[in-house]
Amino acid sequence: MLSLIKAAVGGLAGVCGAHGHKQGLLHNHCRVLSAGLQTYVIPPDYSDVVLPERPKLKFVNKVPNFKKAKKEMKKLRDIQGPARAGHTFTNGQYAIVALGGGYLHWGHMEMMRLTINRKMDPKTTFARWRINPPYKPITRKGLGQRMGGGKGAIDHYVTPVRYGRLIVEVGGKVELAEVEPFLKEVAKKLPFPAKVMSKEGLAAMYQQQADMENNNQNPWTFKEIARGNMLGIRKVISPFDLHNHGRFTGKFHLPGRV
Amino acid sequence: MEFTHFVSFLPGWLPLTQSVRHGSKAVTRHRKPMHITKQKLMAVTKYIPPKPAAPPGAYPSQTRQVQEESGLILLKKRQLKNLFQDFKMIAVAQNNGSNSEDLMILKNRLHKHGIMIKFFPNQIMQSFLNDSVYSNMAPLFFGPTVLLVSKNPKVKEMLTTLRASPQMTLLGACIEDTLLSIQGLMSYSKLPSVTTVQGELISGLTMLTSQTAVMLQRHPAHLSALLQQYIKQQSTDSTEGAPQAEAAS
Repeated sequence: MLSLIKAAVGGLAGVCGAHGHKQGLLHNHCRVLSAGLQTYVIPPDYSDVVLPERPKLKFVNKVPNFKKAKKEMKKLRDIQGPARAGHTFTNGQYAIVALGGGYLHWGHMEMMRLTINRKMDPKTTFARWRINPPYKPITRKGLGQRMGGGKGAIDHYVTPVRYGRLIVEVGGKVELAEVEPFLKEVAKKLPFPAKVMSKEGLAAMYQQQADMENNNQNPWTFKEIARGNMLGIRKVISPFDLHNHGRFTGKFHLPGRV
Repeated sequence: MEFTHFVSFLPGWLPLTQSVRHGSKAVTRHRKPMHITKQKLMAVTKYIPPKPAAPPGAYPSQTRQVQEESGLILLKKRQLKNLFQDFKMIAVAQNNGSNSEDLMILKNRLHKHGIMIKFFPNQIMQSFLNDSVYSNMAPLFFGPTVLLVSKNPKVKEMLTTLRASPQMTLLGACIEDTLLSIQGLMSYSKLPSVTTVQGELISGLTMLTSQTAVMLQRHPAHLSALLQQYIKQQSTDSTEGAPQAEAAS
């Protein structure tokens, strides 16, 4: 009786072993068949991306914390020409880039903050401000007040933005296509032309400008003529043009110029 | 304003037409109107891009493009090489829309005579032929072509089989390293077999030798016959006369 059971168990084990061996062969065969048929796109490597603790945009103060608020002059220079700071990426990959000068109000910032914080995925994405909270005081006279009587009271504060300035930077384990829709939605509501750009896109834009300057086939350049004061041209161009070579008029950028 | 008022009293000096300040404006919503001279300057100093280079493919490339041949192509070429070595008859036929049934029937009929149908891509065929001694065959491979191959040159059987299938048009053949046209194939098929030709040859040769033997034997016999006749005439001449002997000779 015992030997019979043993034999049965042995037979079963043998069958199992044979079955397992067969399956292995079959499995190998299948893998060989499917090997050449599919090509997978290599996913981007996000191993070096570190998400900050607080990925969302911070609240910005409507009014700066000055001891004594001082009225200022208009100082339109602060929106003219190209940005002197904040025009390169720090730790994000995508950004809203200003393509003209202008003033950002607290309301714009709130709009941006609320939209981006609502639309983005905080588990994979982070967003950072690249502009300071409103610091430039704008004065207004009260409604229905007669003219005169000195400068009005400070009404609100704004942040001046120049051409090429990054407004909001977005990064993390995301691709451009994931963040572009809501960044675009925000960018078109800003008081100046703005565009959503990736790090490479911005570098390519600057590279293109440099290439244009190098490969210009026109022997007459604004720079040379303005510097040399040819035909007394300095009479009609401003010192601002001397620096920017006619690429800007005030806060506006003129595209396609060298 | 006070300044202009002050200077306007000077004798011989007309007051300036622009007496008030028109300098910076607070409005930044629109572009400042440009001075005409500056407009001209901007027009003159426009960016001019360099001439675009010739479009790709306009000129032949300086460096020759060497294409890596895939394993399949190499395998096919090797097969072709073996095929040309092993098979004595390689006929090329054009396949004009024959369906699988036709092809199967044809294959079956040809198989009875030991003839096989082979398919090779024309591109591979051309590249193989251009490198080999069979390069004169290359113009035959145009369009959908098939190869009919057999170990022995069975042209007659092939022609009779192909006559039954109108979809296959014979273009030419390479039989025992000889390129033949269709007419050539027809005349080749009419040729008798090797054994009969050999028999004919042997018979011809033996006939010649027998003829020479006959010829060699004939002269002395003829001479002896003539001499006998002469002797006979001489013997009869003495009895009858000269004119009779002349008529006998």
